[in-house]
Amino acid sequence: MSELTQDSPRAQTDDALAGLDYDNSGLALTDICRSIAEVVRVGPDKPRRVRIALGAASVEVEWDNERAPAAAQAVLGPHGDPGAAGGAGEEVLEGHRECAPLVGTFYAAPSPGAPAFVQPGDHVEEGQQLGIIEAMKLMNPLAATRRGRVVEVLVGDGEPVEYGEPLVLIDPDDTAADGSDEGV
Amino acid sequence: MGFGTVLVANRGEIAIRVMRTCRELGIRTVAVHSTADRDSSHVHAADAAVQIGPGAPRKSYLSAPAVVEAALRTGADAVHPGYGFLSEDPDFAEICAENGLTFIGPRPEVLARLGDKAVARSLMTDAGLPVLPGSPGTVDSAAEASDLASRIGYPLIIKAAAGGGGRGMTVVRNASDLLPAYRQTRATAQAVFGDNRVYMERYCDSARHIEVQVLADGHGTVLHLGERDCSVQRRHQKLVEESPGPGLHPQLRSAMARAAVRGARAIGYTGAGTFEFLVHDEGFSFMEMNCRIQVEHPVTEAVYGVDLVAEQIRVASGEALRMSQEDLVPRGVAVECRVNAEDPARDFAPAPGTLAEFVPPGGPFVRVDTHGRAGWKVPPQYDSLLAKVVCWAPERDEALDRMDRALAEFRIAGPGVHTTIPLLREIVADPVFRAGRHITSFLDTRG
Repeated sequence: MSELTQDSPRAQTDDALAGLDYDNSGLALTDICRSIAEVVRVGPDKPRRVRIALGAASVEVEWDNERAPAAAQAVLGPHGDPGAAGGAGEEVLEGHRECAPLVGTFYAAPSPGAPAFVQPGDHVEEGQQLGIIEAMKLMNPLAATRRGRVVEVLVGDGEPVEYGEPLVLIDPDDTAADGSDEGV
Repeated sequence: MGFGTVLVANRGEIAIRVMRTCRELGIRTVAVHSTADRDSSHVHAADAAVQIGPGAPRKSYLSAPAVVEAALRTGADAVHPGYGFLSEDPDFAEICAENGLTFIGPRPEVLARLGDKAVARSLMTDAGLPVLPGSPGTVDSAAEASDLASRIGYPLIIKAAAGGGGRGMTVVRNASDLLPAYRQTRATAQAVFGDNRVYMERYCDSARHIEVQVLADGHGTVLHLGERDCSVQRRHQKLVEESPGPGLHPQLRSAMARAAVRGARAIGYTGAGTFEFLVHDEGFSFMEMNCRIQVEHPVTEAVYGVDLVAEQIRVASGEALRMSQEDLVPRGVAVECRVNAEDPARDFAPAPGTLAEFVPPGGPFVRVDTHGRAGWKVPPQYDSLLAKVVCWAPERDEALDRMDRALAEFRIAGPGVHTTIPLLREIVADPVFRAGRHITSFLDTRG
């Protein structure tokens, strides 16, 4: 599955199709169509539009849904799962959300001025501390419940948080389960 | 001093009712809610709202740290606990005080003493209030239970010291049932209240439940606002309440009111409170005190023209009560019916569902306190009370006719939704109830 989706159609145009000679264009078209069919089959959604320009050997596939890899710019998560891709679109933050287990004040660092527990891009283990929630003068550690890469810390240092509020977004190593709604 | 912001540590109709008064007093309100109540009416009724926990009450509405934290981060000066949940929890009142928040209710030590029903009984005995023959304190062994039972006589009732609100009690009619009932009540008390201590009292089959409303400030004034008859009960749960108590002898009424004022004074009570009495052949006896606003407080408000929640707030802010006992003159009769989401056909099991249709009654002298609204899904985790319908009229019969009209007007429908409205209409039409001759066993023996 990932072979076709990992290499964008644009990449195929540039690398594989560029060398095709026009005598074999019929064969090339068959190959391209087969490739497109495969892309459509494994993709999460049906494409909205497919454009083939054989002269310059260019293929463009457009999807409606932002979740799907945009034809030429598809950037994939470390595991080839487009749904978990951190860079698929800036507005769409998917992954595992670590939510506030209680109402309180969120702290991203162990003390004022100290480095934050985690930064975007850090790899965290299950149980690793991500922050602190202070409630009733008690410091409650917030620990990762999944192993993975920190995509974003969603709440600023010292900000009040409600129960169930998403605090840290993690791109989990284990993609089998979708834990994005856990704890709410 | 006056409060700028009050956090209401409750949900449902009482949270909305408290917020309404706050608004009238120019006080900003903060709601707290669980994940199950995200879309509940009390959240929309407040100026600000904080999600404090999951649906289970223990982790949200009963979590003192979560409530206090919400109060601190929203700049609240005071916390109104409503009824139920944390309203009579001395630890919560203490935690509020430690965090610079005013708990709108009596002082923590008063809550602690009256919260232990066995202690309350002995305190009131000392204050000169009549009590039923019973154990002087808690009954801590089976041998002690047998010994006391032979002196008290049957029927008797075993009650959890940490209980209240009609929960954790067992009636024992003969000696052979005593020890199983004793063990069972202790086990239940341990499970429900985390405290297995129990006490015993004579039980009256033929009694009326009459309670007296008191209001006390921190400046030595203790007032009473007459009584409420709450004898229409189903398994010790009140269903219909009214003020004044129908057909009570004026001497009995004033003796009970005086006893309540004396009791409140003796323990240094502040705020709104209720003395529950049993009225029986030999007179009246103190049962327990409720240190909070009651569900049925609107009937008293209707006949006395006093906003009890406003008085609670004023007293908590340190003000003196502005009225005297002479100012408090009851007018007419007010009746309250509790509309619960319960299915009478399934032994009153809670019947929550989505309220496809919800149109409360209106018209002259009809008050409806509710958090229901069309399209809202009643969460299954909480109390089944959906609405309180309160009707006032100069005479009792007129008030009951008005109640029947209001209940008939009330339109509640939805898949799986059943309410107590049909039963309430039957009660209002019942000749025994109409005559004011109903006693606490009225509903359970009516068949």
